[in-house]
Amino acid sequence: MKDASLPFPAGQRVLGRLQGFLARLRDEGVRVGTAAGVDLGHALETLPALDRDAFREACRVTLAKSPTDLARVDRVFDEYWTSWVGVPVPPASEEGKRSAPRERRGTASGIPPRSRAPEVEEQRVTIEGRYSPRAPALGHPLVPVPAERMRRYRSGARRFRRVTATLPGRRWERAPRGSIDLRRTARRGLRTGGEWLELATRDRALRRTDLLVLWDVSGSMREHTSELFALVHVLHRTVRRTRVFAFGHEIEEITSLFRGETYARALPELSRRLYGAGGGTQIAHCLAEFRRHWQTIVRPTTTVVLVSDGWDLGETPELARELERLKQAARRIVWVNPYAADPGFKPETAALRVALPYLDLLTSPSGFPRAFGPNRGAGVGRAAG
Amino acid sequence: MSGGPLPAFAASVDSVMEALSSQRYVIDRGLATAVYLALRLEKPLLIEGEPGCGKTEIAKSLAAAAGAELIRLQCYEGLDASASLYEWDYPRQLLSIRLHERDRTPAEVETEIYSERFLLRRPLLRAIEGSGPVRPVLLIDELDRADEEFEGLLLEVLSDYQVTVPEIGTIRAKQVPWVILTSNRTRELGDAIKRRCLYAYIGYPSVDKEVEILRRRLPELPARFAGEIAEFVQRLRGQDDLAKRPGVAETLDWANALLALGEETLRAPTVAETLGLLLKDARDLETYRKTRLGAVLASP
Repeated sequence: MKDASLPFPAGQRVLGRLQGFLARLRDEGVRVGTAAGVDLGHALETLPALDRDAFREACRVTLAKSPTDLARVDRVFDEYWTSWVGVPVPPASEEGKRSAPRERRGTASGIPPRSRAPEVEEQRVTIEGRYSPRAPALGHPLVPVPAERMRRYRSGARRFRRVTATLPGRRWERAPRGSIDLRRTARRGLRTGGEWLELATRDRALRRTDLLVLWDVSGSMREHTSELFALVHVLHRTVRRTRVFAFGHEIEEITSLFRGETYARALPELSRRLYGAGGGTQIAHCLAEFRRHWQTIVRPTTTVVLVSDGWDLGETPELARELERLKQAARRIVWVNPYAADPGFKPETAALRVALPYLDLLTSPSGFPRAFGPNRGAGVGRAAG
Repeated sequence: MSGGPLPAFAASVDSVMEALSSQRYVIDRGLATAVYLALRLEKPLLIEGEPGCGKTEIAKSLAAAAGAELIRLQCYEGLDASASLYEWDYPRQLLSIRLHERDRTPAEVETEIYSERFLLRRPLLRAIEGSGPVRPVLLIDELDRADEEFEGLLLEVLSDYQVTVPEIGTIRAKQVPWVILTSNRTRELGDAIKRRCLYAYIGYPSVDKEVEILRRRLPELPARFAGEIAEFVQRLRGQDDLAKRPGVAETLDWANALLALGEETLRAPTVAETLGLLLKDARDLETYRKTRLGAVLASP
């Protein structure tokens, strides 16, 4: 983005401000690359420089890459460009607000928002309270799980991927319909004196899984977070088409926390994001929210992994309704309960009792690798799907 | 390869709005800016949003406004190069081999069967080869349904606008097509494809906008009745327990049906009979027909 190419009255100064704006967006979690910045520069060349709305739209079109990004761009735009060449700052236009779906800022699952940039003064809030020795500690302390357990999770996740595959992979297999398999057609022709009487066809073998992880990060799950994070991370790395959502009393997508990050790098970031997460769980409410905003991602090929202890504050009839709908839309539902490996465990919480008819498998994190092993007894394979 | 001339309406955001409005597409300024920038910067435009809210329609309207050919590639699981780029016409090749095996040498036969005559051109290749006076509009619809590998193929095609057919050589675009990609967000698209595109999101319209869409698409619909229909659909969309909310396409279908039935105002029995045009989930339909419809109709 060259200064000379920008139609601003004070080029260098504005260029510096633009760079600051991009930095703020990155700090807010918008993945703005250099190319997007260049696109913005080119876009501003073609639009009226002093039109605030046009400038905002150019930022939205070139810098955002998802509905969440759009909401963030709008918010940072309003905060950052507060003195745009002396023009009074109007609020975001109604149309603009309407076209960006509501952003989940993290209060959702209890996950707090990212820290704001230092140049914007934080609103000071005085919170009065008293110390109570019974109050649970804030945050989800995350510690790396032993390497041996990670290896077990990886091998379990690979088996899981194989067993739950519903999407075409790279390999080919014979199929009654599909593209022409020339090699097999030629070989078959040898039987009939070189005449190709019948065309052999082939299609991609099912090798991939379409996975949705719904992860309960409420207060009661705090002591299991390290273990569950290891499992969810491994699933995300092993199964390419994975979306991860965290829920407590609200639900939000956290797939971006996992994307491209190694376990060691993702660990502190997640720990930071989960600081303050806690409180009770409202599974039915969160599933309803999920259905309202993300239902289209659940397809007949999708395997849903619901990670929760089942201690629910919500209404059980509503939970049954939501699980039934989820079951109708998805291929199968697997419930991972951190207590399922305990010797005396019985699925007796209200939520679990309601959920059982809709589950293809109930397992623990440690039992997960075994559940998809060669001697699996849970019957969650293709036949059960 | 050159960009080719821009249509006259690419002069400003206002003229883009006018051009698309003339095609009966109701567009807000934000989306018009996205289209304008896609034309001016010659970048693909990725449009995401709720199903049935006009993502595909915008490509059709753009092509019609520009007088350009619309080339549509509908994505699905398993879509690959043979269905999107090109494929050899195997049955005709086999037939040709049999016909010419006596009067031609094997080398001649081979040259013959790998000529352009036996090449089946699929949408991406057709868009690249487009040689008309106006560059074509390439609509890559519901990209989220295709596999990640297809995104890789698309990256290659959209970055260089050329296709290499090993037996023939490289085919380069004479003029870059305008590319519009749509996605219903059933999965996240890869970062690489997003980086190469401008972005826009189409949500559900406001009541006023939906009335305008109804009036524009169905001029014979009285204004008052259009308002009633739009408000009812908005109330329905606001219901929390719906598995699938109706989009604008459903509203238009429903309004059309009510017109065909000779209705002039919303009456509970007709609404119940035609509710299937709005609600496409069996459970939703049953619930609302039996118990909830009255409340939605009556609420202000």
